Amino acid sequence: MNRHILLLMLFVACLYACTKDDFEGPALDSLFGDFSIVDSLVISTNAPDFTNNEEVTFYSKFTTVVDWKISIKGLSSNSIKELSGFSNTIDPDVVSWNGSTSQVPFFQLEDCAIELTFENYPDTLRDSLTVLGTKIYDGIVVADFEDGLPEDAVFWKQAGGNMTFDMSNDDPLEGETYFKMGGKVGWDWVLGSLDIPLTNMSDVTTNPSNFYVNLGILSGINGAFADNQFINILISESNTPFDDNSSNNASDVFENDMEVYQYKIQPVDWLGWQLKTFSYDMFEEKNASNASVIYDRNPRDITAIRIQCQACPYNASSACPGNEFIDVRTDVDFVVFTENVGLLDQ
Amino acid sequence: MNRNLYTFFSFFILGMFLPELANAQEQDKVWFDGAARSFFARDAVGETELPDTTSSINSSSGYNLLDLNTHINPNENIEVFAQLRVRNTFGGFFGSGTSVDVRQLTAKGTINDKIRFSIGDLYLKQTRFTLFNSDEELSSQDQGMFQSYRDIIHYENFYTENRWRQQGLQTNFSFNFDRFIRTLAFDFFITRPRGSELITSSINSSDMLLSGGSMVTQINKRFNVQTHYVNLFEVGSSGTSNISVRNPVYQISVSHMLSLERSKVTQTIQTGFSQRHWLYSELPNNLEDSISNVTKGLFFEFENKYFENDSTFSFTVGYRYVDPAFRSAGAQTRRLDFGQESLNSTYPLYTNASLPRPTSLFDIISDENIYNQDLSTTLMGFNPMYSNVLPYGDATPNRHGAYLSSNLQTSSKSLITNVKSGYFTEVIGQGTFERRTFFSLQSGLKFNVHQMASWRKILSVSLSSDYENTQRSGDEYASLQLRSQQNNVFVNAEVTDDLFVQFGWKQFKTKGREYVSQRNEFGEIVNFNLRDFDQKDHFVSTGILYQLRQNVYANLQYNWWGVANDDPTISDFNYTRLMFVLSIKL
Repeated sequence: MNRHILLLMLFVACLYACTKDDFEGPALDSLFGDFSIVDSLVISTNAPDFTNNEEVTFYSKFTTVVDWKISIKGLSSNSIKELSGFSNTIDPDVVSWNGSTSQVPFFQLEDCAIELTFENYPDTLRDSLTVLGTKIYDGIVVADFEDGLPEDAVFWKQAGGNMTFDMSNDDPLEGETYFKMGGKVGWDWVLGSLDIPLTNMSDVTTNPSNFYVNLGILSGINGAFADNQFINILISESNTPFDDNSSNNASDVFENDMEVYQYKIQPVDWLGWQLKTFSYDMFEEKNASNASVIYDRNPRDITAIRIQCQACPYNASSACPGNEFIDVRTDVDFVVFTENVGLLDQ
Repeated sequence: MNRNLYTFFSFFILGMFLPELANAQEQDKVWFDGAARSFFARDAVGETELPDTTSSINSSSGYNLLDLNTHINPNENIEVFAQLRVRNTFGGFFGSGTSVDVRQLTAKGTINDKIRFSIGDLYLKQTRFTLFNSDEELSSQDQGMFQSYRDIIHYENFYTENRWRQQGLQTNFSFNFDRFIRTLAFDFFITRPRGSELITSSINSSDMLLSGGSMVTQINKRFNVQTHYVNLFEVGSSGTSNISVRNPVYQISVSHMLSLERSKVTQTIQTGFSQRHWLYSELPNNLEDSISNVTKGLFFEFENKYFENDSTFSFTVGYRYVDPAFRSAGAQTRRLDFGQESLNSTYPLYTNASLPRPTSLFDIISDENIYNQDLSTTLMGFNPMYSNVLPYGDATPNRHGAYLSSNLQTSSKSLITNVKSGYFTEVIGQGTFERRTFFSLQSGLKFNVHQMASWRKILSVSLSSDYENTQRSGDEYASLQLRSQQNNVFVNAEVTDDLFVQFGWKQFKTKGREYVSQRNEFGEIVNFNLRDFDQKDHFVSTGILYQLRQNVYANLQYNWWGVANDDPTISDFNYTRLMFVLSIKL
């Protein structure tokens, strides 16, 4: 009996010895220890040419794991790119900048200020660089308005007051020119629209959830914007000829008995430019109740896009009396389709 | 209001006569049973540290429900069971607060008097390391005062005998032998804990399946051998994602039982291992599949039980080792997920800033809506304040140590005591090489005064305590200590036949510091949050209970509950509740 007890005790002692000299998770002293900078900020180049796919890599090392943020600001464009992480090392193999922006406008050929900051610590590391070549974004450019309206595009506008619906080059998002859409209409929600035919979609291979519609929208006049102004985007997969019928206001491919999808950016309630991105699967079927329409959404089958400017009409609705005294403004620029990622995530 | 009163009394009267109705309706091929409940609660704001003018000073809510169980026996070997729920929320108007649901549906039977099968809703349990629905925290020393709340939580969440409710197919059969071994029994099941779900308009998650089997053999009078297998996995092809999880667990145990003249001694040794990984299917790209985040771990337990045949004394002592990488979704899934932001049902927001009110002792005891019914493939979040020693039950990973439990009672049951204790250490550290040590002690004492004094009417006093201590030595970052203690007092006095006056007091207090681990989607620790605890929860209750029979009772309570916290980010709160429940189960 004593031998059995001895064996049992020996067995239990052996199991107690089974503990391992290791630990799981990040080291506590690297999370909660005193923070200091071990290696200062190092950037791989001060003169990147993003047109040639060059990248800027970053390196720095600290004593503890912290939330860090690198901000790159274009001194002419005011464009901003932010990179962030939670680590004790900024790894140049992981953290890099390819010339893209986090917040439009886009970077230009300009000097940029770089700042590395840390959450909960006042330390800031600074550097600078000069952009020698801007990034070229991948995607199908639907309209950048640099050479006027896209080929065969048509636009229509109401006979309202101060109606714009024309090219302008006073404040483009990208390049030199953009398309203004605005004015004042008191009797109808729709102010006007721009219809663009698309014939180069056959190379698209992604499904709707990975196919993105990107467009820049400029809003605001003298620091204010109209109540409930918005943009309605319609995408058609109809094979009807784009503009054969001359008796209607615009193109012919967005009718209720056609395969049309729509997405509303509502409201457009900001000042200045913003670049908006939506995946195609977020678009709703325009006439889902129409049983004769077969909705088999496929980006390859897109034949046209309509960008429609709308706003609450101050005569027809009591909800927006203030719109009598302010023009609607939903100008657009750089309409681009991208696959797999949105434009600003490239 | 009149309509509510009418509905309330209708259910009350229906409840009183439901047992007789059920007997009257019993037929050869179709018979009925079921459950009914009326619940009413009126909550009120008490003293608060910060002003709260955004919450209503008091509010009422309640419902009537009837779960009608229909059993159809087309022949003696098959039964179809359907549970139909009719629920009416107080204040519902012309049916707007009324719902009718099929709550359970099962067909079961026997093929050729040899093979049993069940299809539909199943209640599954294997062992504490493979498939087991461990009790929620703060429930081990519950006395009768809070049993009305517990009954509702367990019934509404399908918590029955530590089983997980699943939907699928189960079959079992057994053999008897006249030589070598005595019996051999098999049990197999396959269920679908989660169906394919639409995440976006074009992305579907995969089906999740749980399959398993057991083989139990009685070698002879003394030896019993069991093997168990369970696997929680996703079927990648049923969704649009190419990532699917696999978590098989294997277990074997051997038990030896020795029958003495007045007692029994049982020794059980069991061990097993688990594997968990995520499979990346590359079928669309014509590439080989790959796996990632592989974890493999084992467990071991050796347990001795001494049990006196007259049930006056039992004693258990054992040793358990659970590897840090042991992962068993069926045994480690928690009833309460503190990792998810969930709002409590009673005053979910408080203070003028409308802050989410932290889950407290009262919510854990009374709120059925914060509990979980789904198996989780990764370790769920827990609050170390309420449960730090074994937050994932006996299958808690990264623990090894000894435990014991004992029950002692006089033959007349005038005095009943129980003690349960454990001392565990981590197998590896978390964030440091230093390892935590854990100590827990639960003790309970019940005086059945009526037995001592030979009174006909029941008078009992229960005292219990639940203590946990976590410690880790080391440098200023590694060292920690967290203590928590729950104290309970319950007095139950029968004033006239079947009518009891009751008083219950429950206090929970905790003090210390602990690191709360944060895990990524693959269950790996990626960060620690350092938290300082200094909190006191209280829950005082008094009321009357009219107990017609064991599962038929009416209970009226008045509750005072709240939290006092030294954390400046958590404002103290106090509330009161008047609660009535009429519960009937057949």
